[in-house]
Amino acid sequence: MDTIIQTYHLKKTFKKEVVIKPLDFSLRKGEICALIGKNGAGKSTIFKMLSGQLFPTAGDIQLFGKSDKETAQAKKRMGFMIETPEFFPDFTATQNLEYFRIQRGIAEKERIYEVLQIVNLTNQKKKRFKEYSMGMKQRLGIALCLLSSPDCLVLDEPINGLDAEGIMEIRKLLLKLNQEKQITILVSSHILTELQLLATRFVFIKNGVIVDDLSKEALDDKSKKQIRLKVDDAAKAARLLEQAYADIQYKILPNQIITIQNHVEEGGEINRLFIDNGVLVMEFRMEALNLEEYFLGLVEGVEK
Amino acid sequence: MINYMKSEHYRLLRKKGLYITSVICLLLIVAAAVVLYYSQYLDPNFPYATSMFLYSNVISGALLIMIVGLLFNSALTGKETSLIKQSVSFGISRYTIFWSKLILTLSYFLLLCVIGLLLTIALGETLLASEEQSVSNFLIASSNMVPIVLSGFFMIHVLKMLKVSEVYIIIMFLFIFIFSGDLLYMLFDYTPSTLLNENLMSFVNYSVQFDYRHWVTGIMISVISLLIGVKGFAKQNID
Repeated sequence: MDTIIQTYHLKKTFKKEVVIKPLDFSLRKGEICALIGKNGAGKSTIFKMLSGQLFPTAGDIQLFGKSDKETAQAKKRMGFMIETPEFFPDFTATQNLEYFRIQRGIAEKERIYEVLQIVNLTNQKKKRFKEYSMGMKQRLGIALCLLSSPDCLVLDEPINGLDAEGIMEIRKLLLKLNQEKQITILVSSHILTELQLLATRFVFIKNGVIVDDLSKEALDDKSKKQIRLKVDDAAKAARLLEQAYADIQYKILPNQIITIQNHVEEGGEINRLFIDNGVLVMEFRMEALNLEEYFLGLVEGVEK
Repeated sequence: MINYMKSEHYRLLRKKGLYITSVICLLLIVAAAVVLYYSQYLDPNFPYATSMFLYSNVISGALLIMIVGLLFNSALTGKETSLIKQSVSFGISRYTIFWSKLILTLSYFLLLCVIGLLLTIALGETLLASEEQSVSNFLIASSNMVPIVLSGFFMIHVLKMLKVSEVYIIIMFLFIFIFSGDLLYMLFDYTPSTLLNENLMSFVNYSVQFDYRHWVTGIMISVISLLIGVKGFAKQNID
């Protein structure tokens, strides 16, 4: 499988603070890869280093197998939308895209109409960018990414500010671009449920380090059922579990919540174990994890 | 680079700021000439209704011309530097962006300067009392101003591209182009403020000549500014 993006020991520091620890990451052709992390985890910093906005402190980036000065050519095959899309406030969508069309040396003027049609902005011809809603700005940002017919899109929070209908439209659009035009996509979003419907691979990042890297199948497998309990003393409950089951896998979450990933079929016995030993069980649930819960478990939970 | 310049040209022609700044500058020249013209009718002893006086105001206004340069730069690089990230992420080099913006802004600025100069001469020679050598003296004095004004323009471009705030830009300008003569007395003959003052004095005394010192100072400030600017911008993170 061709590699579109490859980083080798990529590192970034800001005034002695290490924001990205040496990071090895690859994005393969055809993937829709979701980069997931809390605010400040380093997602945008990674995107900015890929786009050339920020210089890495150390390490190397290869785009389409090209590195150093050759990445400038490789970037012409990519579309970046990082954080809030920026355009000239007094220009209309057409004027803004015309500016970038000229700059990118794209001969066909019709391409502007095509991309505006793709993102459903053709009916806003006279509206200036400063009058746009957040969702419209995001769509214009995506239109700009598509202007040069890229092979890969790097989108930082592309559905930020969109309403439910807009989110669905963008998801369908990205899936269509991936499936019909084989465009590889690297995407981040705070709306994890949306990423779960979109991505084929999930990379979890915490404090500048990749903590997990799963395919959709692996995530589905990991998201199998678990027991979720709210007790009055999670630490005591954990000790009881460890005494009763040597191979127990559990996580302690905030608010005295404990989740158990194995021995799921023995829920009744576990409940009785707690009650018999004076641990008050206030809530007992059998549940399947979604991406959001898996992520929270990964970044917030105290895992055994 | 050509494509980048074309796109900036497309944008600049659609900026109101460009036209407003240009029209205000030209109107101020017209207003100055008209006020002088009518003043001689209101006061028969009014001594300043001469082309020499009008031209001397231009020669003494180097700083004002540089402020126009600051406005031009603000129109092209000012608040919209955030858009540079879209260009950088498409693989356009920081050098291309730096030089393209400079060349294009400079072209429009020079065009406005030439129009302003021609307008001043036209008004001075038609509305006001003119002396034999006033136009040639004015052109010589103006040519002496050119390198220093341009060095100021380059400095503004560099500071704007390096995202230096306008307060610091003004402080640097006051230092280099107004107070430098008093503060850098060892270089007294070559500081911009001294040279601009001497140029004005020799113009009003009818003794103006082409002076190479303006070019030495102007080229030095320009080269230093551009070297710092291009190196600084090439290493700058665009956030």
